[in-house]
Amino acid sequence: MNHHRAGRLLSAYVDGELTAAEARAVQEHLLDCAACRDAHDRLRATRDLLAGLPPAEPPAEFWANLRHPIAQGSVPSGVWMLRGAAARLRAAWRAGAWAPWRWVAVRRPAWALAAVAAMLMLAALPLVKGTVDRLHATEIGVDLYVHDHAMQMGHAPLVDRAYVGLVAGDAELVLAGETPRPVGDNVR
Amino acid sequence: MSEIAATVAIMAPPEGVRAPAYTAEELARYDGIVQRYARHVYNIAYRMTGNQADARDLSQEAFLRVYRALRRVQPGAPLESWLYRIVSNLYIDLLRRRPRARVESLVTPIETARGEMVREFPDIAANPEAVFEREHIDAEIQQALGVLSPELRMVLVLSDIEGFAYEEIAAILRVPLGTVKSRLHRARQVLQQRLRPYVEAQRRGWRP
Repeated sequence: MNHHRAGRLLSAYVDGELTAAEARAVQEHLLDCAACRDAHDRLRATRDLLAGLPPAEPPAEFWANLRHPIAQGSVPSGVWMLRGAAARLRAAWRAGAWAPWRWVAVRRPAWALAAVAAMLMLAALPLVKGTVDRLHATEIGVDLYVHDHAMQMGHAPLVDRAYVGLVAGDAELVLAGETPRPVGDNVR
Repeated sequence: MSEIAATVAIMAPPEGVRAPAYTAEELARYDGIVQRYARHVYNIAYRMTGNQADARDLSQEAFLRVYRALRRVQPGAPLESWLYRIVSNLYIDLLRRRPRARVESLVTPIETARGEMVREFPDIAANPEAVFEREHIDAEIQQALGVLSPELRMVLVLSDIEGFAYEEIAAILRVPLGTVKSRLHRARQVLQQRLRPYVEAQRRGWRP
């Protein structure tokens, strides 16, 4: 084995990650080459130095926060927010907070219906307007948007938010528990 | 180990918390995952970020994802690869969101108007008494880790600090085995130069 190739295999040799034949070849080279013996010793010492680092001790509040992951900081997903709102409405209904409204619904169904329709319209108005605005904006902006992302992807794919979101996003959750895909072994 | 004991207690979500309605059994399962992996996740996050606050945030975010996906995680499935990949991705995410705190390799020359310049570091062997104390060495090693690019650092942390085999690292980071080998070799070479006095001391069989 030549000096250059042995040099590149030294780290893997230190870790016992070479095939038996490779390891033998490196070992033979080490007997002849003082420079590689020196490099080998230094690599091993570097590894041992790192292995000797004590594990980082998490701060005390770390464990409490892990116990209630939803309670702190993070934004709850929309589904949970809706569920929470529904639960609060149900509780309010049971508590009788809606008694006057119940009276209207029973005695004057037409009023109640009109009121609900008006509320729905008021709620829907900004949504519809927003959609129209967005559609309008796309007509003008779509070329610019595509152009921008194409340039960005070509220039630095890992900086493009949309692209990285695609690569590193939550899509991975589905893969938990799945048998890992065979790993490419193109160099060994 | 009182912190761990604390996490064993059944996790009844406090009043008013918008949490998915998990059964006691599922919560116990989540707790098991926390107990098994939390220290490793935190350690990796700490060695990657180099500070407590970011390490805590990264780990908590990683476990939040586990918590949300709990029903999709098969009981007993090995979560190592998945969790550590999340930590790795979250760290890359952190670097991207914080471009000013972007980690720049200290060994690459700086471009100036008068050509390239190489950074100079204080000689770590200049103060012999303080140098060989455990805390001082840990700090020096952590600082040296920060010099590496995130890719090299992640491989080094998984291999030399967490003790994973090359195949496992390749699976966690989803890179070819040859890439793991070459990154690890480069990372150790850089560190060995940065930490020369300690490496030499370690060679001579010295222990802090």
